[in-house]
Amino acid sequence: MNFAVIDWVIVVGYLALSLGVGIIGKRYVGNVTHYLVAGRELGLYVGIATLAATEIGTITYMYNGEFGYIYGFAAFAPALISGLVMIIVGRTGLVISRFRQLKLMTVPEYFEVKYSRGLRILTGVLVAVGGILNMGVFLKIEGEFLTIVSGINVRFLVPVMTAILLLELIYTVLGGMVSVVITDFIQYVLLSVATILVTIYAVAHTGWANILAKITTTMGDVGFNPVTNPGLGVKFLVWQILIWFAVHTCWQTTAMRMFSTKSPETSKKVMTWTGFIFLGRGMLPMLWGIAALTLFGVGTIGKGGVPMPVVNGQTLPAIDAMPAMLAQILGPGVRGVVVAGMLAATMSVNSSYLLGWSAVISQDIILPVRQALGKGPLSSRRQILVNRIANLFVSLFLMFWGLYYTPPGEVYLYLNITGTIFLAGAFASVVGGLYWRRANLAGGYAAMLLGAAGAIIPFFFLKTSENTAGFAAFGLAAVGLVAGSLLWPRQPAPAREGAGEVASTD
Amino acid sequence: MRYWQVFWTVSLLVAGTSFAFITLVVTIKGFRDLREMFSSLSQQREDSGE
Repeated sequence: MNFAVIDWVIVVGYLALSLGVGIIGKRYVGNVTHYLVAGRELGLYVGIATLAATEIGTITYMYNGEFGYIYGFAAFAPALISGLVMIIVGRTGLVISRFRQLKLMTVPEYFEVKYSRGLRILTGVLVAVGGILNMGVFLKIEGEFLTIVSGINVRFLVPVMTAILLLELIYTVLGGMVSVVITDFIQYVLLSVATILVTIYAVAHTGWANILAKITTTMGDVGFNPVTNPGLGVKFLVWQILIWFAVHTCWQTTAMRMFSTKSPETSKKVMTWTGFIFLGRGMLPMLWGIAALTLFGVGTIGKGGVPMPVVNGQTLPAIDAMPAMLAQILGPGVRGVVVAGMLAATMSVNSSYLLGWSAVISQDIILPVRQALGKGPLSSRRQILVNRIANLFVSLFLMFWGLYYTPPGEVYLYLNITGTIFLAGAFASVVGGLYWRRANLAGGYAAMLLGAAGAIIPFFFLKTSENTAGFAAFGLAAVGLVAGSLLWPRQPAPAREGAGEVASTD
Repeated sequence: MRYWQVFWTVSLLVAGTSFAFITLVVTIKGFRDLREMFSSLSQQREDSGE
């Protein structure tokens, strides 16, 4: 056991605070708009906190640490891209301003506004499947981190992660977005302190000169140059630009923050400033991974020609090198703060993702299907109930799938490809729908189906690399939108003003 | 390789500094935002008679 009494006090104190504060959110929830988008009352600073906390979890630290360990400084390229793209989206208001003007609650809702209810349901299904598969690996990897750093016995992993999931579930189910925003704020502060502390410890303990020397000797030029690195390359970088534009505009949990702000202008500012945080969100944990390689990278040669980490005589997977380093270099007290920070990161991501995907299941699958079957609309209170039940089902799936499934290859790439299942088609359909007057229903269907097929078939069945599958998915989705729209031009006009350029009806 | 080393070192410094600075500002000013959000949500509930 690596934990001292002070560490336990900090961690348990944090968990109690999170739960207590989260439950307070319930008293502010009166209707479904409060529950899903916090009454659209998010200001700039709390908007930055909740957006950053939503997209920074222990899972983020783990996959970025693994990426840094395997690719060295060349791994920084996608982190740089994610931050710069976010700043561009924020400055230009691409998609997010129009989305906010439309007062949406979910991304698939746009597909009914612009295209049709059927396409909304199809998009809802793809978003839910891709999103839940994406989230499906979180618990196990987060549990690995906590087990290694705290030193608790691995047989307690399942009960510990189940207890954490239940805590998140309690306040998310009760208070929805209001509770999530309040807890996100506390969690953001804590996870940021932990991030800064770990960075200082990692560099001070390892030495900057040693880090540079290790990458130079083990990887050479490809450890710094993402273009010549055989695992990355131009195809990977182009895919990263496309996927990050798609994530920052069409990823349900990110988009929900944009829907929740006070105004389109606030959305743009939140996105811009969070872009700077995203630079650190990627690069700092990647640096921890590089520091872990410097300290422990002495084993047999593994993926990408990089030596496997050896800790206390035992060879570990690359993803576990970073938490093993933290277990060694952090002292009592600091370790408690860092683990509490990582728990904060875990809870903020998981609660937001639970709310995001359950919102899609309830608002974009269950409710539209009810309407299609000729049943009347549900009251706001009943909609909240449906959301809460969907939340429970997503949690149950995560408990049974997330704790036992191990993703193949690097986790970062697995998460990217599962996200691409719906992001490729959604991004093409949304951008086309908003900014191209000839985009229509046939194009929307073609984009969603070809985008999903482009990600699923090459990756899961043809066993091509994630880079090729991701690249293919975005290309096929764009071709599908253009070809479908041009080949079948007779489509109805959009249902709501501002949904996009009016489709050709001649 | 030298060029890339300098480039990533500078990028890392910008990333780390902006991360720390924005955290500080958000921590201080976020409380005010939260109070305003609670007040607006309470007002919305009162207005709708819930």
